[in-house]
Amino acid sequence: MAVRKLTLQEKDSRLGIKLVLPSVIIIALLIIYPIFYNIYLSFFDVKMNGDAFFIGLKNYANVLTDSTFWSSVGITFFFVISTTFLTTVMGLVVALVMNKKFPLRGLVRSLVLLPYVAPVISTVYSWQFFFDPVNGIFMHVLVDVLHISQSRFNLISDPKYALWVAVVFSMWKAFPFTYLMILSRLQTIDTTLYEAAEIDGAGAIRKFWSITLPELFFVLGSIVLLRFIWNFNKFEEVYLLTDNVKVLSVYTYFKAFTGSLDLGQGSALVVIQFSLLVGLILIYVKKVLKW
Amino acid sequence: MKFVKFGICTALLLFSTTFIFASGQNEMVEESKSMDMMEPVTIEYWTSQTQTDRQSTIQLLIDTFEATNPNIKVKLIAVDENDVTSQMATAANSNTLPTLVEGAATTMVSFGADGLVDVDANADVINSIGRDKFFDGALKINESSNGEAYGIPFHGWLQGLWYRTDWFEEAGLEPPTTWENIEKAAKYFYNPSENTYGILVGTKSENFTEQCFTPIAQSNGASLYDKNGNLTFDTPEMKEALEFYGRLAMYNPPGPQTWRARDYYLQGKMAMFFYSTYIMDDLAIQDAAASSLTSENFSDLKGSQFDPELASHTAMVPTITNTESASYGTIVSLSIIDQGDSKKTEAAKKFIEYLYQPNSYITFLHMAPGGMNPVIKGIADTDEFLDNPVLSNYGKEALAEIVAGMQDIKSFGIVDGMKIEKADQVTAQQIIPQMIYKYTQEGLDIDSSMDWAINEINKLN
Repeated sequence: MAVRKLTLQEKDSRLGIKLVLPSVIIIALLIIYPIFYNIYLSFFDVKMNGDAFFIGLKNYANVLTDSTFWSSVGITFFFVISTTFLTTVMGLVVALVMNKKFPLRGLVRSLVLLPYVAPVISTVYSWQFFFDPVNGIFMHVLVDVLHISQSRFNLISDPKYALWVAVVFSMWKAFPFTYLMILSRLQTIDTTLYEAAEIDGAGAIRKFWSITLPELFFVLGSIVLLRFIWNFNKFEEVYLLTDNVKVLSVYTYFKAFTGSLDLGQGSALVVIQFSLLVGLILIYVKKVLKW
Repeated sequence: MKFVKFGICTALLLFSTTFIFASGQNEMVEESKSMDMMEPVTIEYWTSQTQTDRQSTIQLLIDTFEATNPNIKVKLIAVDENDVTSQMATAANSNTLPTLVEGAATTMVSFGADGLVDVDANADVINSIGRDKFFDGALKINESSNGEAYGIPFHGWLQGLWYRTDWFEEAGLEPPTTWENIEKAAKYFYNPSENTYGILVGTKSENFTEQCFTPIAQSNGASLYDKNGNLTFDTPEMKEALEFYGRLAMYNPPGPQTWRARDYYLQGKMAMFFYSTYIMDDLAIQDAAASSLTSENFSDLKGSQFDPELASHTAMVPTITNTESASYGTIVSLSIIDQGDSKKTEAAKKFIEYLYQPNSYITFLHMAPGGMNPVIKGIADTDEFLDNPVLSNYGKEALAEIVAGMQDIKSFGIVDGMKIEKADQVTAQQIIPQMIYKYTQEGLDIDSSMDWAINEINKLN
């Protein structure tokens, strides 16, 4: 049988497949395989010596009937929504300020990035050192110097304040990224738009609502989406800074890796967390960004 | 369509390579089993001593061992004690178990209960060193309910309530040996407006908290299980102990606290704290203490100056008394892991026997003088053991008292001489520290806190 000559389109498509093959294999090994293995494990009772017994949906039933799971879902949503909102607003405000000309602007612009570029472990320890109830400089100033508070308290670890501290820390650590993205978009907005608006008699607020904000819409949309994903899975900051804010990732860690290990239930938790996140992203992309 | 086919092919490729890799590993294990015993062998030794200076001492011991046993290589791997359980799980699942592990006896018991330990190999080592040379209590704490050796006792520390003798004398207070004296002193010295605190008891959901709570509960006759393994948690004695612990926690520095807060004592801001004998070198050697201070950069803060007289103004109460007396400590053990290679097991046995020879044993213990105490009879009073600046500072008698305490270490896992494995699982799950955290920090009432703990304990069985 004569070999049929490939059409140009078929050649293109074969070349395309060959070119993406290495990436596909790497992604399959590093991402797809662990995901499927994780899903597989979630149906098993995994013993420490490596034995695994199929138990169907029992891990899922255990997770979904556990009240601490639901409270950790609540904490996660509070954490994610508040940090995403605060980070975006803070980033936007700082970007608007930094877009104005003032002396030493270059220096200030770089200094603002500091919390974002500093390693999380060093910032966490400086916060703990700073807010230590007995030796920390914050309590020293608050109680002994300014006499604002009568008694010393443990701002970082006390369960009453811990969640708020985690939110403020996360905002402080992440807003420079938002600021950077927004600032770069602000600098590309055509100045003639503002000039035209001024001729039409628009004030500063009017210009912000009718020009700046619509121009920033997609940048803001993407930043909110990314921040949502990142903070939904946030582990290291919350875990290192406070030991009692059980967002989903911290809760999963405790379930899967502390005490007597329960890898099966940990896997079930991860699958649930993953499904929640994917569902929320799809809704956001369809309804808000209308992509 | 093309992409679907492509996806299927990739998935098949992926699973087949994994399968081939996994079966290859099995073959490797089989192959090594049949190899000659005299072939060179490398064993992995997981130690909980993560400090660099301790690791170099252990490495020195290993080098000496390797020089006399050229066929055995010992690979030293430091694993933090809080991570060892999760690391073992990962190693078990990936077929990369170590040959030898060092860690708390309760951890070894939980590994044993999970079927990871080679109990016969451990028993062989104990017999070849001489069963009668070990302290009985130390052996018992490492055993299963049926007397299998889940671990080989290696060294141990005792916990006590350390306090400022000069402050107590000045205030005319009795040493904190009883519940009443402890509470009275804690209340007396609690002066938050002066930034000084009465006592440190653990309130974070960490192991330290259970270590502080155990002697308090046991001094009131409370236990987790009876000798038949029935849960005896829900008793008036346990409730009283928890209530008392909650009252002590009110005289703590603000917020949840853990062992780290012992720095406040070294800075002269606290009257009493629960701690192991590991504090001895910090108290005795100024340099060691100075390195622990966290306020050295803020020299104008009150009480931050190091007190060179601190060691002589400090005493330890090893036993707490209420309706009965109780002390607490931990045995750190070695355990040979069942990794399926008899050659490695034999090498590990040889290495452990070497570690128990007096010279290497004392070298090991001197890494943390006071913290690491012998569990072998007749070591503590040798001149070689006492030849150390920290140990000689405390004197022969004080050491004899500590080592005597090692012979009768109590835990929730030993009831009337019977080993209760379930109690060690409760410890591994950190249920008691979590309960204490809920009660003292989250404001949950005492009955609900205890109900929560009972519910969690019942989930384990």
